[in-house]
Amino acid sequence: MIINFKGAKTYIGTGGKSLDINKMTLCFLHGSGQNHLSFIQQARFFAYKGYSVIVPDMPAHGFSDGNPCKSIKENAKWINDLLVDLKLKDVVVIGHSQGCLVALELNRILKSSLEALIFVAGSNEIPVNQFLLDLSKENPQKASQMMVTWGHGIDGDMSINKWPGHSHYGEGNNIMCMNKPTALRYDLQSCNDYSDGIDAANIIKVPALAVLAKNDQMTPLKSGLKFVELIKNCETHILDCGHFLPSERPMELNSIINSFLSKLK
Amino acid sequence: MSENYKFDTLSLHAGHIPDKETGSRAVPIYQTTSYVFNSTEEAASLYNMEVGGHLYTRISNPTVAALEQRLAALEGGASALACSSGMAAMHLVISAICSSGDHIVASSKMYGANINLLQHTMPRFGINTDFVNPNDPEAIKRAIKPNTKLVFGEVIGNPGLDIMDVPEIAKICNSKNIPLVLDATFNTPYLMQPFKHGANIIVHSLTKWLGGHGIAIGGAVVNGGNFDWGDKYKFPTISGPHFALGGISFWEEFGPSALIAKIRAEGMYNFGPSLSPTNAFHLMQGIETLPLRMKKHIENTHSILDFLVNHEMVEWVKHPDLETHPDHEVAKRILPKGSGSIVAFGIKGGREAGKAFIESVQLASHLANVGDAKTLLIHPGSTTHSHLSSEAMKEGGLTDDMIRLSVGLEDINDIKKDFERGFKAVKKLNK
Repeated sequence: MIINFKGAKTYIGTGGKSLDINKMTLCFLHGSGQNHLSFIQQARFFAYKGYSVIVPDMPAHGFSDGNPCKSIKENAKWINDLLVDLKLKDVVVIGHSQGCLVALELNRILKSSLEALIFVAGSNEIPVNQFLLDLSKENPQKASQMMVTWGHGIDGDMSINKWPGHSHYGEGNNIMCMNKPTALRYDLQSCNDYSDGIDAANIIKVPALAVLAKNDQMTPLKSGLKFVELIKNCETHILDCGHFLPSERPMELNSIINSFLSKLK
Repeated sequence: MSENYKFDTLSLHAGHIPDKETGSRAVPIYQTTSYVFNSTEEAASLYNMEVGGHLYTRISNPTVAALEQRLAALEGGASALACSSGMAAMHLVISAICSSGDHIVASSKMYGANINLLQHTMPRFGINTDFVNPNDPEAIKRAIKPNTKLVFGEVIGNPGLDIMDVPEIAKICNSKNIPLVLDATFNTPYLMQPFKHGANIIVHSLTKWLGGHGIAIGGAVVNGGNFDWGDKYKFPTISGPHFALGGISFWEEFGPSALIAKIRAEGMYNFGPSLSPTNAFHLMQGIETLPLRMKKHIENTHSILDFLVNHEMVEWVKHPDLETHPDHEVAKRILPKGSGSIVAFGIKGGREAGKAFIESVQLASHLANVGDAKTLLIHPGSTTHSHLSSEAMKEGGLTDDMIRLSVGLEDINDIKKDFERGFKAVKKLNK
């Protein structure tokens, strides 16, 4: 659905179902340079399982207009305001990569009722090397291509995909190309600048789930494992794939999330 | 395309890693119509397109999917769909994008069946086409109307061998927000990858060079993922709510792969032009050696061009790699590795001479195919294009004396000797 939010056209994927604010809502937060399409195989899956699903395109991403947020805290504030605007009450926040950092900050300020936090290929910090930061300013398309290549495990190189006929690289590059050219640089800079992850992780009180990727080159497994140690009773799973876990291991991820959600009911 | 693996490697490996359960190195042939669901929930998920997977081979199949993913990797596309033939691929694209009242701009110099489909069949369903010279980008621009939904042509025209200036035409299409659909059968991704030049959708007859051995019919649609289908008035069945799957918007739900998702959900489901898993396996075997074969095809083609150009019995020779070809400069720019292995030539003595030549050669096969490992010949005026009027043939750049040669992988000196046999027969006839 498309709404006017904060004066800008804002797209929110709902998994092909109408949003019902009386149901538990799963709010998916995309990663750097991504948009709602990074959750193709989660949005419809959970919407058809009876949950309300929202997958917002952050400003300047996907089908959303507006100026990109310039920090993780600004992203979190924007999401918080959106959830308030949509009058959503019981929310489970599911972040992927940068979306995990946003989820950590959202946990501090969320005015809706937060039921749980789910971190996919996440960490409490995502440092970005200077080369990629520079490239994202000079040549965002090239930077996107490099991220797509690094971000996938062997399935990317070998063009293996659970979705028949789809290419992780071809699809991934084009998903990133749908964003405004400035979106990636602010995303990456926001990740690099964020340093409050330890404190933010320590204060999590809601049930938490982390699904990490064994061959993650963007948020390495080692970093992810340190992160989950900071969260009290965080259920943790490790899947054999790269950073783009939602598209590389969709069924396994959905099954883990589904099982976690069933324990909340 | 992968930045980690190059074209030759992807030709062998893309789309498949050894099967974990059996260790099978080759892509297994999943000769099955259907797939057991682990639960009703899983079945519903597949039907609703919530997640990827296989439910019925008319829609998708693991062997066919390996082929599709190999093609997507080789072309640098977002997604691909394999089907029963190149013509099926073309029909799937048109029916996915166009509805009654829509308009197409197409090259006037194309394969007879492509012209037939657009000129005679599609108008019965309210989809009309204006044919224009593919070498004239301005004419293409002028032919575009408010209801034009796609521009279609062949990168290398069959059989006239006209070369489309893909980057120029892509610029025009892009400025009008119309997808450029190209039949890339004659170039294959080895010689040229149209998405790098701005094209949006590719159709292939896999039967030809990609399969390469004349043993299996197949086709494919490869989607660049680089077209914005978001105009709900122009592309209502892709971006707007579609009758399938509870009013799905393919563009919103699948983004770069919207077209392939729609073709799979609608075209494959409702029309059913599926590729058999065994044919998919055969075609993939061919693709494994595509780089090697294409190198040899081009090498042999250049050798036979020298032979024909200097032969006393040959009236004219047409190939885009010859300086005399009107599109030679375009070919050099967009097809630097070579412009394919189809050669057109005319034999002194006209129609009867052509017939005598074809009936006298022994090694080259007289048949209606191209892109085989073996050398093939045909006389279009009396076979593939015989249903077209002389006027239409002329418009397509054909003449009575024209022979279409598909250069194979034999020792080229054996082919030259074979042709001398044919020319000897023509000499006798001319006496």
